[in-house]
Parts: sequence; structure tokens; C-alpha cells
Amino acid sequence: MNTRDVDPSRKLSGRVRPDEPMSESLITLDNLSIGYNNQPVLSGISLSIACASFTALLGANGSGKSTLLKTLLGLLSPISGRVRIDAPVIFGYVPQTIQFDPLYPLTGFEVALMGVYERVGPGRRVPQAERDFTRECLKATDAGEFARQRFNELSGGQKQRVLIARALATKANVLVLDEPTAGVDAAATHSLLEFITEIHEKRKLTVLLVTHDLPLVRKHARQIIWLHDGRVLHGTVAELLTPERMAEILEMEMS
Amino acid sequence: MDTLRQILSPDFLLRNSVYTSVLIGLACPLVGVFLVLRRLVFMGVALPQISSTGVALALSLPMWLGADVTAHSSQGEHTLAFLGSLTFSLVAILVLAFLERRGRGMAEGRLGTAYVVAAAASILLLSKNRYAEIGWLDLLKGEVITISNFDLTLTAAALAVVLLVLGLFYKELLFVSFDRDMAATLRKRVLFWDVLLYLLIGLTVSMAVLSVGPLIAFGFLLIPPLTAHLFADNMRQLMVLASLVGGIAALLGFAIAYQWDLPVGPTDVALLGILFACGWCAQKTISIARRLYA
Repeated sequence: MNTRDVDPSRKLSGRVRPDEPMSESLITLDNLSIGYNNQPVLSGISLSIACASFTALLGANGSGKSTLLKTLLGLLSPISGRVRIDAPVIFGYVPQTIQFDPLYPLTGFEVALMGVYERVGPGRRVPQAERDFTRECLKATDAGEFARQRFNELSGGQKQRVLIARALATKANVLVLDEPTAGVDAAATHSLLEFITEIHEKRKLTVLLVTHDLPLVRKHARQIIWLHDGRVLHGTVAELLTPERMAEILEMEMS
Repeated sequence: MDTLRQILSPDFLLRNSVYTSVLIGLACPLVGVFLVLRRLVFMGVALPQISSTGVALALSLPMWLGADVTAHSSQGEHTLAFLGSLTFSLVAILVLAFLERRGRGMAEGRLGTAYVVAAAASILLLSKNRYAEIGWLDLLKGEVITISNFDLTLTAAALAVVLLVLGLFYKELLFVSFDRDMAATLRKRVLFWDVLLYLLIGLTVSMAVLSVGPLIAFGFLLIPPLTAHLFADNMRQLMVLASLVGGIAALLGFAIAYQWDLPVGPTDVALLGILFACGWCAQKTISIARRLYA
């Protein structure tokens, strides 16, 4: 697996190991510059995300995690460079639950059903088969029991399970989770991540997990994209979460 | 009950007004649900007012252009008013929604300014139009009396369009309202559905303003969805209940206004306010009772 510091002029670039074998690439970022209103937040990003990989996107608040995520999902146009999709991709996006307005009187089932909307054309009712498929997805995420309750009345962990069911209902091959453990207690966090790891392995899903939680990353992720101070570090957990490297990064953060 | 029977009789002199009120009562809450859920309530205040400025301007144009205003037929005048109302509503909602999407500046300030300037402009325009005072000032006050067959047909057509578009594209409109990012990742044409929803709101508001005036239009856009929201467990219930609350309040409001010789618009809105207050008390009582017996 390759490790690339995308800013070769910086101190960490000496650790690049381009000689390692690469898995089949799914998404390649090619000299990407991202930001808002032509103001770059991150520049010169070149990395690739392999098929069926489990990648954690790490970084402090304001480091550009959301900007990178939005660009990957196609919600934000890059300022320069490009995002190359190397194989057919359906994103199963699991946003932060805080972004949903509690005013909508939607049940968990109604929220999960949105996952099949792409396959049901405008003006058509959702067929029974798609409804049944949504129920299966809810069952698979252990959300079947509370799917009839109001979505905004569910706990943080329950909401995440409904949203993951919605992502699975899209028949996604890439699961993108934006801080799924925010506002979720320790026990629910543990079972949620165990579940994500399980479906990643069983269904060969590519997982991109945005998080702050280093122990979680160490336990579940295989790859890391670490955004720090305008730089993007990409490598395996073993390579990036070594004590020396952590100390180096934390030292940089302190300074 | 006698009054209700009387106003529902086909021979009732003001039957067009009754039917129009009820149609507006049924239609406005359906689009009002989306205004409330998208937290665009201020838009619901500003839009009817801007729409009525369109009516005032359209009615003043022939006079300014030196046309013989008295020679205009009632239907011609209403067509002109409809065009003014529709144009102003659609342009205003598209511009305001665009500014809202850009997210710059203070949205409430913008909408408040649009509301107050539109209200002032309507009064100024009508005060300089000697023919306007006959009926259009009544409209601004919410007097639903002079409803022609033409108005009634237009209102019925607008309700049909609202029902058809919401029935056909409910899931797309809901999806882009609730989670536009997810909709965009699934390659839904978010902007297209947004514009369709805004056009629907603009059409409904302009019809409502033309038939019953800005006061009732806003009342029916806002209060029935809020009342229904107290009890609805899902979106379908919210929309059906909101529309029913609007339709029933319009009918009862007309009956009360007729019985006690009150202006219809303010009666409808006051009745909606009472229904909302009763609904709120009932909902609180139910939730306290549930907690006690749980």
C-alpha cells in the first residue's frame, strides 16, 4: 500500500514509499485543490482510495475534512485538479445526524426509504419490492424494531443505524460516514463500528470514515488520510499511527 | 348549523366566495407545509405582500398608459391582476430563494424589508388609482365577497395543479428538502426540484392573494401546517391534516362571518389562531397524560 505525503516540499515527504504494491484503485485525486469561492483550503492533494478499503479521514476541526468529503461526493467542485472515479461508484452517504432538521415528521422507515429513490423515477410510486428491500436493510442494521418511530426521537446510535440502512438501500459500493459516533455513547459506538467493519468485510464495501477518534481508527481502519495544517498524509494505520509519527504530528499541532 | 346549510346551498348568493375560500383553505397548507419545514416562514409573510403589490401595479398600468379604465371588462381586469400577481410572486420567490441559497447577508432582514416595502408600495399605488378603491382595497383587507366565476375557476385550477404536482413529485420534493446533499450524491437534479417547489409556492400564493388577499393567504400558508404538526406522526398525516384544518377553518370561518356580519378574511385567520391554540393545549394535555400513565 502506498504512503504519500501530497506536499513533497514539507518535512514529512521523506517518508513516501512509492514502491509498495497498490490495490485496485477506486477513486484517484489528482493534484486536487479544494475550497470555497476559489479560496483553497487544501492544495496539491494526490492520492487514491482502493476498492474494498477501510479508510479513516482524520483531522482537527477546520482542517478541511468536510471540504474534502464534499468534493469527493461531488457536492463541491474542485478549484483545480480532478477527482477520477476509476470504477462505477454509488456513494452511500451517511451524514452527521445533527444536520437533519427535527421539524420533519418522518419515521425511521421513511428516512431509510429515501435510499431507493434513485432507482424510482420521478412521478412513480415506490414499488413494494423496494419497500421490502428497505425493510431488509433496516433489519440488517438492527434498526427494524424502531423504524416505525419518529426519526428525530431516536437516539444517536439508532439514527446512525437508520442512516446506514438508507445508505445500504442505495446499493452503494462506497460507504461514506461523516463522524458517525458524534453524540453516540461508548457502548453504541463500539457496536456501531463493529457493525460497519462487519459489513465492510462481508459485502466488500469501500468505507470512508470521517472521525476524530484515534483509538477507533487504530482498531477498525486500515488506511488513513490525515489532514493537518494544510497537508494531507496518506498511509496505513501501521505507518501513520506509530509513536514517533504521532509525536511528530502532535508536536506540529502544538507548535 | 342552519348557517352552514344556507351557505352551502347552490342558490346561495355568495357561493363563489365560499367555494374559493375552501379551495384556498385546502391548497395553501399543502405548499405551506414545505415553507414551514424548510423554515421559510418569513418568505410566507413577504411573498403574499409582494404578490399583492403585483396586483396593484398591474391594475395601475392601464391608467398610467392612458387607457380608458372604465371600459375594461371585469374579466380583463382580473386577468391583468392575475398576471401581475403571478409575475411578482414567481420573480420574488426565485430571487429570494437564490439569495437564501447563497447564504450571504441576513435573510430575515431581507425578507422583512421586502415585506414592508411591498406593503407600502401597494398602498401608494392604490391610493393614486381612483378605480382601485372600489374592490382592491377590500382585497387587501381580506374581504372575500366579490369572487367571479373566473376567479373560482382559476382557484380550482390552481388547486388541481398543486395536488397533481405534489402527488406526482412528492418524494422528490421531500428528498431535496430533507437531505439535499444525499439527493445530490444520488444524482437527483436538486436545483430543478427546488425551482419546481418554488414555482408551486409562487402559483399558490398568487392565486390566494388574487382571490382572498395577502392576510388570509399567509394565515393559510402558516397556521394549518403548524396545527397539524402538533399531531402528525408522518409526512402524509401532516399534509392531509394541514389541508383539512385549512379547508374546515375556511368553511367555518365563512359561516361565522356570515352569521355575525364580520369580514371573512380576519375571521378565518382568527379562527385558525384559536384552532392552533386549542390544538397546542390538547397536545400538551395528551403528552402529560401519557407521561402520568406510562
